[in-house]
Amino acid sequence: MSKYFANIYDTVNTLWTGMRITWGHMINIKRDNVTLQYPEERWPRPERNIGFEHEDYNVIRSRLHVDIDDCIGCLKCERACPVDCIKIDTIKAPNRGEDIPEVKHTGETSNGTKKAMVVSRFTIDMSECCYCNLCTYPCPEECIFMVGGPNSSKHPIDYEFSEFDRTDLIYQFAKKLSPEQKDGLQNPKPEAEA
Amino acid sequence: MTVDMLIDWFATIGDFPILSFLLAVIISGVPLFLIMALNAMVAVYVERKVSAFMMDRIGPMGQGPGLHAGKWGLLQTAADAVKLLVKEDTVPETSDKFLFKMAPYIIFIGAFLGLAAVPFSSVLQVADFNVGVFYIIAVGSIGVIGIVMAGWASNNKWSLYGAMRSAAQIISYEIPAGLSIIVPIMMAGTMNLQEMIHFQEGNVWGILPNWIIFNNPFTFIAFFIFFISAVAETNRTPFDIPEAESELVAGWMTEYSGFRWAVFFLSEYANMLVVSGLAVAGFLGGWQSPIPGMFDTGAWGLFWFMGKLILLIFVMMWFRWTFPRLRVDQLMHVCWKVFIPIAMFNIFGVGIWKLIFG
Ligand code: SF4
Ligand code: SF4
Repeated sequence: MSKYFANIYDTVNTLWTGMRITWGHMINIKRDNVTLQYPEERWPRPERNIGFEHEDYNVIRSRLHVDIDDCIGCLKCERACPVDCIKIDTIKAPNRGEDIPEVKHTGETSNGTKKAMVVSRFTIDMSECCYCNLCTYPCPEECIFMVGGPNSSKHPIDYEFSEFDRTDLIYQFAKKLSPEQKDGLQNPKPEAEA
Repeated sequence: MTVDMLIDWFATIGDFPILSFLLAVIISGVPLFLIMALNAMVAVYVERKVSAFMMDRIGPMGQGPGLHAGKWGLLQTAADAVKLLVKEDTVPETSDKFLFKMAPYIIFIGAFLGLAAVPFSSVLQVADFNVGVFYIIAVGSIGVIGIVMAGWASNNKWSLYGAMRSAAQIISYEIPAGLSIIVPIMMAGTMNLQEMIHFQEGNVWGILPNWIIFNNPFTFIAFFIFFISAVAETNRTPFDIPEAESELVAGWMTEYSGFRWAVFFLSEYANMLVVSGLAVAGFLGGWQSPIPGMFDTGAWGLFWFMGKLILLIFVMMWFRWTFPRLRVDQLMHVCWKVFIPIAMFNIFGVGIWKLIFG
């Protein structure tokens, strides 16, 4: 009989303990909250360069970006890529180093190199890219790079590039050229040739 | 009460008894339904928030006024209601289609009828019966029929298990609930809810309001037995073995979707309202103010009643998000070996107390 009442006492006591705990969590929600409302709030990104001490080593391999105005169309990055996800088409420019306003082509890079090629297509399929960073080293103009990290001044970090369609992961960097414009560049008019 | 008043008032206009009766029922029934719907919307929102806060989460935050930039997800349940209404209404191929479609409405009727006798204030009560307590307990059992119907008609083992468990549980827990609600009936000497609340006027021992719960130690225990049994009757955690997600998918609700499921939800929350209303009227002084003699005129009655109701519903949520589910045998143990003997003893004690002190 005494065990019966001891049981009841024990039950009430432990239930009350549990209720006190949940109550405590409820009123201290401001302090204890663990939910991060993702698009509005984010965890701070760790500021670090892991691994090799070379401070230019771009460890934050978040996404490739190409400053297309600086690209001379040398195809070195395309050849370096182990998975062949960079595709570049070029057309010989009529006059080396001259602007072509109708296709928004600038004649010189920011380093002063005169461009011989108009880049008519520059796509990187980020769904194939293995983020090996190998394409960025050979680039003579340093215009293909991983965003963020040491390059934060050129382009902010972006590691949230999800898309609804896989083809949207093929990034287009070259300026859009219409077929006529391409044709005009490929088959220059006789006067220009002369 | 409103029904009677309306019928009397119609009688002064002209002599058309059936029409006036129908009108009176509709006029008092529609607000009741609105209360039910509003209660479900608000209570679901609050429940989600309370559960979230107790688990260190923040609950729904997206849908608010000004979607997504929204404020605290205030419109979340409105969005959910719209979603439920436009959802596909599936009826299983092999189910007993007639019973399957009927079940939600039977459960709904049980909850709705119970709500009709809840005394929201001294005048706001749809029907003032002289057997109010008895009536609420009686119509409360209609829900079991609906649950068993739903479980049987779904033609699904989980649903049937859930329904059987629910029947066993509700029928068992009606006994301690009934035995405990006898205590205020003995104290007040009436089954009429308004008279019972009027009995609780004034104060006891100088400071406490003269609510039945404070009247003597037996009523104090009786309140807790009644309240816990009431939680069990509404099939809420820790007594939710009929729907036990981890064992029975969703118990007797497994096969339901869309609007019918929304009706189940509506009824669950309305049931909470009804049993809490009965507990408030029977033990916590109904619409009487907690400070005797102050703030007890007019609309204050409604305020106090709703306040006590909300408090009890909150405690139900608090239970739900604190306690783990009881096993079937534990459930029966608590009911038959703990609650019923103590409730019996309570009745005896209150009888003696009344003989000596009252
Ligand atoms: S990071 Fe590697 S895989 Fe990606 S484009 Fe550059 S070379 Fe190719
Ligand atoms: S290596 Fe640099 S300059 Fe050469 S094609 Fe690639 S991006 Fe352009």
